[in-house]
Amino acid sequence: MKISPRKWLGARRALLPALAGFAVALTTAGLSLAKPQPGTGISLPVDASADGHRIDWLIGVTNAITAVLFVAMTAWIFIAAIKHGEKHTAKYDHGTSKRSMFIALGMAGSVFVVVDGNLFVNSTMDLETVYHNFKEAEKDPNSVLIEVNGHQWAWDFRYAGPDGKFNTKDDIVRLNDMRIPVDTPIVIEVASTDVIHSFNLPNMRTKVDAVPGQINKIWFKAKMTGEFDIGCAQHCGTNHYKMKALLTVLSKEEYAKWAKETSAISERAYDEKDESAHWGWDWKDI
Amino acid sequence: MELQPIHPEPTSFIRKWIFSIDHKVIAKQFLWTGLLFLLFGGTLAMLIRWQWAFPGQSVPALGPVFFKDTGGAITPPTYTSIFTMHGLIMIFWAITPILIGAFGNLTIPLMIGARDMAFPKLNMYSYWAFFISAVLVILSFTSQLGAGNAGWTTYPPLSTNVGSPGWGQTFAGLGIFVTGLSSIMGGINYIVTVIRFRAPGMTWFRLPLTVWGLWLTAILNVLFVPVLGSGALLVTLDRLAGTHFFITGGAVGLKGGDPILFQHLFWIFGHPEVYILILPAWGIVGDVLSFFARKPAFWYKGSVFAMIGVTVLSAVVYGHHMYQTGMAPMLGLAFEILTLAISVPAVLLFVNWLNTIWRGSVRKTVPMLFALGMVFVFGAGGLTGLLLGTISTDIYLHDTMYVVGHFHLTMAAASFLASFCGLYFWFPKMFGRETNPLLGKLHFWGSVIFITTTFTGQLLAGYSGQHRRLYDPFQYDYITHLRDINRWTSYSAFMLFIAQIPFVINFFYSVFAGKKTKENPWDVPTLDWVACSSPPVYHNFDVVPTVVRGPHELGNPEVKKALGKDWISQTEEMPGEDLAHAAAAE
Repeated sequence: MKISPRKWLGARRALLPALAGFAVALTTAGLSLAKPQPGTGISLPVDASADGHRIDWLIGVTNAITAVLFVAMTAWIFIAAIKHGEKHTAKYDHGTSKRSMFIALGMAGSVFVVVDGNLFVNSTMDLETVYHNFKEAEKDPNSVLIEVNGHQWAWDFRYAGPDGKFNTKDDIVRLNDMRIPVDTPIVIEVASTDVIHSFNLPNMRTKVDAVPGQINKIWFKAKMTGEFDIGCAQHCGTNHYKMKALLTVLSKEEYAKWAKETSAISERAYDEKDESAHWGWDWKDI
Repeated sequence: MELQPIHPEPTSFIRKWIFSIDHKVIAKQFLWTGLLFLLFGGTLAMLIRWQWAFPGQSVPALGPVFFKDTGGAITPPTYTSIFTMHGLIMIFWAITPILIGAFGNLTIPLMIGARDMAFPKLNMYSYWAFFISAVLVILSFTSQLGAGNAGWTTYPPLSTNVGSPGWGQTFAGLGIFVTGLSSIMGGINYIVTVIRFRAPGMTWFRLPLTVWGLWLTAILNVLFVPVLGSGALLVTLDRLAGTHFFITGGAVGLKGGDPILFQHLFWIFGHPEVYILILPAWGIVGDVLSFFARKPAFWYKGSVFAMIGVTVLSAVVYGHHMYQTGMAPMLGLAFEILTLAISVPAVLLFVNWLNTIWRGSVRKTVPMLFALGMVFVFGAGGLTGLLLGTISTDIYLHDTMYVVGHFHLTMAAASFLASFCGLYFWFPKMFGRETNPLLGKLHFWGSVIFITTTFTGQLLAGYSGQHRRLYDPFQYDYITHLRDINRWTSYSAFMLFIAQIPFVINFFYSVFAGKKTKENPWDVPTLDWVACSSPPVYHNFDVVPTVVRGPHELGNPEVKKALGKDWISQTEEMPGEDLAHAAAAE
């Protein structure tokens, strides 16, 4: 069969946008499926927490399913536009037959059941058993309780010290420096003194807003030692981008040593008259 | 008295072009103002992208003009004003006037067979209230302390004097309030016009999908913009009158107002706002896909009920913007279920679009390409929203660039492409001239390709952990390696801006010197094209048409046999057709 060059070119020209679309679709799908080294390239940051893998898994599996749907949708649009082009005779169909309506509802329903269902079930289970399960975290006798106060543009940290009570002389108070022991539940209460901030620990896969007049709570457990960024995720003014603190995960022994020494230093530096330094609050049980 | 008498056309310049009560002129006024602000908001976006690619470096071309004091570099306070005003301007002064102001005004009377809006004077007030709000938002830039800078969400206490002193934020807040008045006036007009002014025979299920989308949007506007208005007013009182609605004292215990209260007020408007912007887009695209696939819209009633379903659900999902504010877990769960439920009608609508173009006879005209592009970016945006509607995955993704990429694909890019779909489609109706298809296609491919790459770049940066609204994202060690993707995303955004040049040329050339259009250049069956001239006379219809069928009667083989064309208009009778019987069957 002989195809005239003109016709061949014409067909090719129609295919170019199709190929471009597929390339975009496949790259996106590939990127979401590929698992590069964490913390490099396009990937989730290093997961340093004991339970962050639950979120990572749910994000990954949802990305995989939606990537398939995305490729299918893109292919559908291109095939319909090119194969069923101007020369194709339109099929007269209002889509009101029982079969068509069943197919349309079936497609909508199955996306809902599979993708949304999976998200809902896993999210709810993870929240119930882990992320919102403060009782379990605080029950652990070794758990570390920290109060965090956000203000423009820094994070204050307060540990109860040896007496176990907040807002007393022996509290450890640190600026932009949070140290925690590894493999230990860390329970954090967050508030703010000026505007709304958001306390973000990307490597621990947790985050909560710091709201003036309100105490919010999160907990997590670090699974590895090291230094990680603490950020502010909520626009809080000019230097929002500089509202950065350092999270240092120490071994249990190192942490105990640090806590003891730092508490002693803080006690010496305690100034009863400096009211702005007494921003702590009584620990709120949930 | 007759419901729609023919009024004499005004002759003075001011009555005809400035303080006009003619819905077609008001539509053009909204269009011109909206396009100007689109350019303005787009330029602000370019500055943001420059900042993310080359933080703190002198901005080429614009820098020496606007940031003289710093040698052309953007400073952190200026940067906060830029992203705040980009968001506000794009939403309230660009997309809203184009999609709702321009196309709502133009298409509703023409498509339902009315001689004008129900309240033509209210329509004029709506535009001029909008104009005043535009002046207010421009005035915001004259403040020594910078334009509004608390983010488009204007969360207090940041948006009070605690975080943003000066009249910049005050004028931005007042601008929101006044533009809200304009939306409410427009909304009431649209609602009443569709209920009362449909031509004889124009039943609810014979309305084009465009009208359905605009009508539902108008309902959402009338219901929820007042809530935004009260929020904006209370913040303004906190700023000017010393009240403490949203300001607390100290860290522990509420000693004054409650900042979270504002977020409820804001998002009970803010989430419907997403649908306020996208429903007209869905309507326009739903019609255009059918018109140019030369096939009836697939399961029209299903699409209508899906749009109604989304409208209703949109009012009860707003809590998903506030998962990380310390919302009670049970409450979060309720909002999560409702949020995920909205995917059912949304996917149904989407599937109906896909089925509409399947086995069609797709004419790849410029409006059709924009409609297909809108389906594509809306699909991508919708799929990326799932992870944000779910509480556990949102813990990680909330307030990252992933959110930014997601809402730009769904709300910004989809409504942007739908706006241009509508503009190319109704251009001959508005101006009586045709646009250049080659420039139009150039505009389309540039837009859709660079929209995809720009917002995919943002999604990927956010997935990798980059926060929103950072003057210099690379302060954080764990995202320093994202410099490259930020640069590429910025290059792609610059290309997106450049890709609009063919449109500007095309638009101005065609308005003044385009080819005179045929009466119905697209061969479509709706009243706007078959029952009035292009451009229409002052009173639209010499005789109000009588409607005998639905808006998508295309590709019917019997029509082809009888009339020799593949479509039949909403007013046209088929030889031998029993119309009484057909009407009863509807």
